[in-house]
Amino acid sequence: MAVRTFQARLLWLIVAVLVLLEAGTLISVYFTGRDTLLQSVDKELGVGANLFKGSLDRRAQGLSRNLRILTYDFAFRALVAAGDVPTISSALENQAKRVDAGAVLLVGLDGNVTADTLEGRLAGRRFPFPAMIADARKNGEASATITFDNKPYQFVIVPIRAPQTIAWLCAGFEIDETALAEVRRLTSLDVSLWSSAAGLISTLAPQERNDLLAHMPRAPQTTIHLGNAEYETLLQPLPTSDRSSISVVLQRNLTEAAKPFVALELEIFGLSFVMLLAAVVAAIIFSRSVSRPLRVLAEGAGRIEHGDYVSPIAIEQEDEIGQLATAFNQMQSAIGAREEQIIHQATHDALTGLPNRTLFLDRLQQSIATSKRSGESVGMIMMDVDRFKEINDTLGHHFGDQLLIEIGRRLAQTLRESDTVARLGGDEFAVKFTAPTARHATEVAARAGTAFDAPFVLGDVSIDVNASLGIALYGMHANDAETLMKRADIAMYDAKKNHSGFAFYEPGRDEHSLRRLALMMELRQAVARDQLELHFQPKVDVRRERAVHAEALVRWNHPRHGRMRPDEFIPLAEQSGNIGLITKWVIRRAIAYCAEWNRGGLDLSVAVNLSALDLFDTELPTFISGLLSEAGLPPSRLVLEITESAVMKDTAYALKILRDLKRRGIILAIDDFGTGYSSLAHLKRLPVDELKIDKSFVQNLTENATDDLVIVRSTIELGHNMGLVVIAEGVETLESWHILKRLGCDMGQGYFMSPPLPATEFREWLRRSTWGEAGSAVAQGVPASGTTGT
Amino acid sequence: MRLVARLLITSLLACPPLAAATIEVAVHDGRGGAVHDAVVYAVPESRPVPPPKRTAVMEQKNRAFIPHVLPVQTGTAVRFPNLDDVQHHVYSFSPAKPFQLPLYKGNPPNAVVFDKPGVVTLGCNIHDQMSAFIVVVDTPYFEKTAANGRAALRDLEPGRYSVHVWTADTDREPAPKSVTVGERADLTFTIGR
Repeated sequence: MAVRTFQARLLWLIVAVLVLLEAGTLISVYFTGRDTLLQSVDKELGVGANLFKGSLDRRAQGLSRNLRILTYDFAFRALVAAGDVPTISSALENQAKRVDAGAVLLVGLDGNVTADTLEGRLAGRRFPFPAMIADARKNGEASATITFDNKPYQFVIVPIRAPQTIAWLCAGFEIDETALAEVRRLTSLDVSLWSSAAGLISTLAPQERNDLLAHMPRAPQTTIHLGNAEYETLLQPLPTSDRSSISVVLQRNLTEAAKPFVALELEIFGLSFVMLLAAVVAAIIFSRSVSRPLRVLAEGAGRIEHGDYVSPIAIEQEDEIGQLATAFNQMQSAIGAREEQIIHQATHDALTGLPNRTLFLDRLQQSIATSKRSGESVGMIMMDVDRFKEINDTLGHHFGDQLLIEIGRRLAQTLRESDTVARLGGDEFAVKFTAPTARHATEVAARAGTAFDAPFVLGDVSIDVNASLGIALYGMHANDAETLMKRADIAMYDAKKNHSGFAFYEPGRDEHSLRRLALMMELRQAVARDQLELHFQPKVDVRRERAVHAEALVRWNHPRHGRMRPDEFIPLAEQSGNIGLITKWVIRRAIAYCAEWNRGGLDLSVAVNLSALDLFDTELPTFISGLLSEAGLPPSRLVLEITESAVMKDTAYALKILRDLKRRGIILAIDDFGTGYSSLAHLKRLPVDELKIDKSFVQNLTENATDDLVIVRSTIELGHNMGLVVIAEGVETLESWHILKRLGCDMGQGYFMSPPLPATEFREWLRRSTWGEAGSAVAQGVPASGTTGT
Repeated sequence: MRLVARLLITSLLACPPLAAATIEVAVHDGRGGAVHDAVVYAVPESRPVPPPKRTAVMEQKNRAFIPHVLPVQTGTAVRFPNLDDVQHHVYSFSPAKPFQLPLYKGNPPNAVVFDKPGVVTLGCNIHDQMSAFIVVVDTPYFEKTAANGRAALRDLEPGRYSVHVWTADTDREPAPKSVTVGERADLTFTIGR
């Protein structure tokens, strides 16, 4: 399919119309030409016929005049009156030569031929054309076409008067080719004379003459074919006085006659072609003049499509296209204005009118790009209004909104024009600034902080508001805008946590911190979504070489990050206040497993780690007791492990809880012993039953590692002295196992025995391990914790 | 060519010229019209006629012969005075009297004697339109019809006559009529055309 542009269509239309017009003209010219040709030929034939007859008449009249002159000659009249035939004959012959007559006859009043120029052939015989005499008697003279001597003749007859008619003088000439040729010469017609006696004489070429003879027309006017040409033919019988049949045939070669018309037609055809060419050129120019502005319009529309709302369509025309261009330009500026508005809405915060996160990031990127050239340092402040949720909840959303607007206004006032204040969402603001050094950045942050110096008075309410500001500098803290924002965010959290007002980003607190923030949020749902799982690691009685405890360790099967260990998310849970939830879940599950094991005949206690924060939960002991009695498990089957640092935090409160737990018969253990700074006096006050040496001392325990050996030995002795069961964590080699055994450690825990295993696999381990059911049957029935007592 | 038949009619009344007879002739054309200038003449059938006693004159005036028809008795001398101021060339090719009077004015010196009966057609070689007839008859009894077509032949001796009519208007002469005249006879001729 050809490309049908507007220009091409217009061009084709014009050419088609022209071709039709010209074809019509040519056809009309052709038919009119043929018509005119035939009419003119017919006229010509009529003229030819008249000319022929006129020519005959003229010649006859000439002859008649000559004869008359003779008849007036006195001597000739005397001669005729005298009746001297030989002399008369000679006189006639002389006259025949003089007037170029074929035959001259003298006819007596009795109608007999007296003398002739035909060697006396007719002398003494009746004059063969008496009708002529009668005619001449009446009209003075007569002329007639007749067949004489088997040839077509024109005869004239005049009287000889003396002064009364005494005889008739008659003369004739043959109508031959010369007579025809004269007409032919004058008219360019072909003339033929046909007579029954003499046949055909003609100006036609022999071939055509034969054709004519073979097809002598009957109708007076016909078109016949002779030789290779069409002939328009006029057949006119000549009136004869002897009733012989003589006709003149006038013919026009149509092919030849049409030549001027053919030439004219060719000329018109040529002219038409030239006109067509001219019209095509004109059409191209015209269609271009139409299609070019259309193309300009299309290009203009294309520019608008690509977001160019500045350069208008330049068409200076008064016509419809010009109007269209004007409409386009108006549309362009309208779209531009609307898009500007939309972009403003998309890049600005509706409430405060400040740039939003998108625009802020954009400007930050721009500033960074500029700073790479200028060398100026770019920084940003991430800002969060403290206790905003509280303010919102107590004073209402409207108040909150007004406050945010006022904060935005104040921030903008404190900062320079070139800085950007943005509201990123909620109570979060950001400031982008340029500063040569970190010290300058501090000044900027301080200036931003002054926005919160004065109390905010909104309506009747006056309120003091504080904010936490996190500062990060491009180049120093991050190498791109997005990282810079994250790190400013981290710094802000630090500031909030430390209540320090503002804080710089500390290198190293990378985006992992951010992940932790995200995890904090997700942790809430982890319990509900059953993403938590318990793994168990056995604690083995060193002397009996039997697994007596199983420490429950919580794992988080995170949908994205995979299986996470407690040290990765427990701190987060503590920060986000979700630790209680997790602790309770772990205790519930651990008690359930333990109960199951015991029902299955296993002699195992279960150990659960408590967070320091759990020790603030006064409900916890009651909760645990409820679970234990529900599961039908003696409290001594549950060991709660508390880290040394946790116990140290708020001793009085923690002690209270711990004593409660202890009173309920639950076993308590100090975890990670040796890493904190607990005083022995403090330790002595704790109502604990077990002491777990931190794995950092045990992992590298060899006979040669004297330091660790001393610590472990001392700790074991100390624990024993205080009446505590001592457990070593991080037992990873046979050597350390032997050392612990030698040193009298009560229990060991570590990869040497087993890594933490999922419940089913742990159950399997118990079944197969020599430390489990596969061990000596002697161990059965011995209470695990019974060795140390309470 | 006009032939005049001469019929000799024997007179039944062989009376000496005691009293004169008259023949009244009326000439009509076929349509009842009177024929003017017809020559009526009576030829005695059994007697010789006396020789002519007088001459005749054929004038040329205003380029015309006057009279147009001139009957004369055989042997009459006719003079041809030219009264015009142009010359005339009078000729006749008629067998009864071929002659010519070459160009002349006034009276030609000689008269022409018409010594044979017959019609002599006169022409002028200069003026083709001039034409006249001299009707030469063998009798002294001739007359031209008047405008009413009538003519009277008077002072005839009683006897038998052959009466002829000649006119220039026709080729067909009516047949002569024989009539015996005592005192008076009436004849009517009709000229056929």
